Amino acid sequence: MNNLEESKTFVASLESLEPMRDFVSQTGSNAGLNKKQIYGLCIAVDEIATNIILYGYQNSGIDNGLINIHTIFEKENFTVILEDSSTPFNPLETKIPDENELGLPLEERKIGGLGILMAKESVDEFRYEYKDGKNFNIFSVRPNDD
Amino acid sequence: MSFTVESKINENIARLTLTGALDSSTAPILQEEVMKIIPQNPLELVMYVEHLDFMASAGLRIIIFAKQKLGTQAKLILVKPQDQLIETLKMTGLIFSVVIVDQYPE
Repeated sequence: MNNLEESKTFVASLESLEPMRDFVSQTGSNAGLNKKQIYGLCIAVDEIATNIILYGYQNSGIDNGLINIHTIFEKENFTVILEDSSTPFNPLETKIPDENELGLPLEERKIGGLGILMAKESVDEFRYEYKDGKNFNIFSVRPNDD
Repeated sequence: MSFTVESKINENIARLTLTGALDSSTAPILQEEVMKIIPQNPLELVMYVEHLDFMASAGLRIIIFAKQKLGTQAKLILVKPQDQLIETLKMTGLIFSVVIVDQYPE
C-alpha cells in the first residue's frame, strides 16, 4: 500500500474529544488496525488532548487554541501526531503511578497520573517533541501485530 | 455517540446504567449521579456497563472517588464490561478493587 497521510484540525475544547476519536478510528480502520489497536490510539489521543485542552491552553492564556491531528500510515507503522501551540509540556516526564501504587486498595490510591499511564500503555510507542513553538505527541502502533 | 446514565437506588443497592462514551466532556454527568448516591451510603454500587463503549481516565477517577467516599465495606460491581474496559482496569490496577460479573443479581 502507498503511504497514506491525513490531517484534521480541531478546536481545543472537550466537545472535540469525540470527533477526534472518530477521526482516529476512521483512519486507523482504513489502515487495517484491529479493534484493540484502534481503541488504544483513541485512549492515547483522548487522554493527551484532554491535558492539552484543560491545562496546556489554559495555562498559556489562549482561549481559541487548536489541535491538529495527523495520521500517517507507512511501511509497518501507523502513527498519530497531536500538534498544539500551548505551553511546552512533556507528558513522558510526568510521574505516573508505579506497580506498588497500582496495587493499593482504591481507598488508599491517589487520583492522578492515570491518564498518562493509560496513554503510554495503550500504544506500542509514545514519543514527545517540542519544536518551532509547538508540542508534538506522537503515538505509533504496528498494524501487523496481534 | 453520546453518554447517558440511569440511576436507581433501593435497599442499600445503587444501580447505574452507563451507555456511550465516558470522557472528560461527559464525566460530569456521571459525577453528578454519584454525588447524589454517596449520601445514601449504599452497600453495593452496581454499574451496568455492557453498552459503555469508551472510558477515559476521567471515568476511572469517578470510580475511585466513589469507592473512597463509600468506604471499604461497600462493594463496587461492574456488570458485563467490554474487553477494552477490562484491559483498562487491568493496566490501572482497578481490577483488584471491583467485582466483575456477567449479570446482576446473579
